[in-house]
Amino acid sequence: MPVNQKDVQRLFLQAVFSRGVLSGKLAQTLWEKAKETVQAVDEELDIAESDWDTFVTEVNDSLNALDLEFRHVQDETTGRIMYAIANRKDDTIAQMAGDYAPVEISFFKAVVEQIMLAPRESYSISSLAALREVSALKPKSNMSKTQAEVVLSSFVAKGWLLKSKRGRYSLSARALLELSPYLKSTYPEEILECVICYEMMTKGVACPSPNCKVRMHFHCFTKYSARSRQCTTCKKDWPPNPESMTAVGEAALRDGEDGKRRVRRPVEDSDEEEDTGGDNDDDEPSQPSQPDRKSKSHQEANMDVDEDDDEEDSDTPVKRTRGSRKN
Amino acid sequence: MPRAATRSQKPGRGSQAQPSQTQRAQRRRAEEPEDEEEEEEEGHTMDVDDEDEERGGQNDIKRMAHALVRLALFNEHKRMPLRRDEISKKVLGSSTRAFARVHLAAQGILRDTFGMELVELRTRAELESESAAPGGKDDLDEMRKAVGTRKKATAAGSKTYILRSTLDARLIQAASATHEEILEDEAEDAPSDDDDDEFGGSSAYGSIISWSSADQIAPLGILYVMLALVLVSGRVMGDQDLRAMLKRLGLTAGGDIAFSAASTHRTLTLDAYLTNLIRQGYLDRQQVGADPKKGKGKRGRISQADEDSGQTYEWRWGPRAQSEVGEQAIGAFIADFMVTQERAEDAEDEEETSGAAKARAKKKEVDAKNRLEKMTQGIARAAGGQLSEIK
Repeated sequence: MPVNQKDVQRLFLQAVFSRGVLSGKLAQTLWEKAKETVQAVDEELDIAESDWDTFVTEVNDSLNALDLEFRHVQDETTGRIMYAIANRKDDTIAQMAGDYAPVEISFFKAVVEQIMLAPRESYSISSLAALREVSALKPKSNMSKTQAEVVLSSFVAKGWLLKSKRGRYSLSARALLELSPYLKSTYPEEILECVICYEMMTKGVACPSPNCKVRMHFHCFTKYSARSRQCTTCKKDWPPNPESMTAVGEAALRDGEDGKRRVRRPVEDSDEEEDTGGDNDDDEPSQPSQPDRKSKSHQEANMDVDEDDDEEDSDTPVKRTRGSRKN
Repeated sequence: MPRAATRSQKPGRGSQAQPSQTQRAQRRRAEEPEDEEEEEEEGHTMDVDDEDEERGGQNDIKRMAHALVRLALFNEHKRMPLRRDEISKKVLGSSTRAFARVHLAAQGILRDTFGMELVELRTRAELESESAAPGGKDDLDEMRKAVGTRKKATAAGSKTYILRSTLDARLIQAASATHEEILEDEAEDAPSDDDDDEFGGSSAYGSIISWSSADQIAPLGILYVMLALVLVSGRVMGDQDLRAMLKRLGLTAGGDIAFSAASTHRTLTLDAYLTNLIRQGYLDRQQVGADPKKGKGKRGRISQADEDSGQTYEWRWGPRAQSEVGEQAIGAFIADFMVTQERAEDAEDEEETSGAAKARAKKKEVDAKNRLEKMTQGIARAAGGQLSEIK
């Protein structure tokens, strides 16, 4: 079969598919290598010079009609540019059926739900709590905790979830790239947006002012704080380092502060609530940085859980407004 | 869609009509894809539609073709053949008779954008009739294999499909070579804060296409060895024989086969893995003496009970192995392995410094080539006939 120019793109797309998610740097290297490889097979071939952005545009021209998009986000932890072929329809999780059994997908959804509903914008869940989700699955599954651990590490290995040093699961760059339509439609009230890059955000900093809704990625904060030390909205003076800001992501919680399991539908988890419910109040004073905001958010959160009970069997996400979660 | 609704659902158009239609349409593809003539040729589906509806119909076809491409791409992850009824359910909806046109349009997109195509797997009957008629050609030309010139499908196909690369074999080969720069970038991409998990991420090899992350390469290696064993046993191998061979390689029925962290199981027993391979269509297990026309044989789980019940089974290549791997490639794999192994041993004995040694080395090169050829012929003999091209 003769080789032609378009093979560069084909080879490149197959390279991307084989990885799922990859850094912009690696993507560009792969593009270079794809060009070299095609050229080496047919030296006569005249491969047009173009730059990366043009190439990405061309790729997306071919993917567009398929509701796929080769797009990137900045990794929330490392700030690296990460690319993936994202599904623009919100059926990504359904499409994971190619990879995972139905019960594993329900488990994934449950873990994602706990991450999205986690208290104090922590967008993370402890590994214990993640494993506990197995027993709450509906319909009841016979997945064992041991199995669930393996499945969780598969989610991590495939880049759907991140596992931190503290052992907490959170959303990865791939999840943000590929699941954003799903997350936005399922958890519209829980979505935070960075005021700098307008991308969805689950890790970063929040303005310390109690009522201010300004949130930024770490990398966006670094960029912004080089220009200004004031909040973009409330003009409060900000500390120079992100650590002194209010945290979004797992740093917002200490171990054991996860609190109650939050659900959109009530599940028989009353015993769990009793187990962990007390922790919250005890831990309250141990974080003096934001006592005001936190204690309030706790009360609100608790009330929300009660509200959930009233919304039995409703398929719509819990109407927990941004405001109520914030302060 | 209005069009689908206005049409009567004639179930009559049997599958026999499809292959010829596909070919006819394929020929036409070069000319004008949106040709109205195409619609007319399928006259009986068209009785009442006027031009406006036809335009809507073309859009429907396009929309469904896009859906089929998505389905094929997402489905390929689990390496399970895509079934026609799944396509009907998820893509075609009520317009089941549009399959041929949707399939054709989807093929165009897959080939043009992704360098892939949907390949219909062979039925057992097809495979048997093909092996009866010697169709294999002498040349081991790798290109032809990968291109996979589709032979004319016979009447009723298997109605199951896999995705296969249409890239030039030289490109595929080059895409598995290690590049230093890719390796470096991959190392940077690997999560730095590895958790306490002893199963780290899958290791990267610096190749353009990352087989190690897209596939479970360790179990795949075992599969290819089994395919090789079955091939050189005359294309069919008794269950006992296969197991005895595997045991020599350290694989017992209850033994564990390790999967990478990307998988949802750390290990599978050999029996469980074999069950998977049958389901995926890589291997085929039949009861000895069973009527092959009676269907696909037992598709159930493989267990100790089978052996205890005194039934004997034999293993053959499954249709997916025929269409995805190909006998010639496995033949080349065996020959390469055998010959290179020998050469590696030779090389250790000798230091190539003098001119005479160089000449010897050159001769060795030629010898090796000859040996490779001989080996390939031997493999074909052991298989019981010319190794077939990829199907």
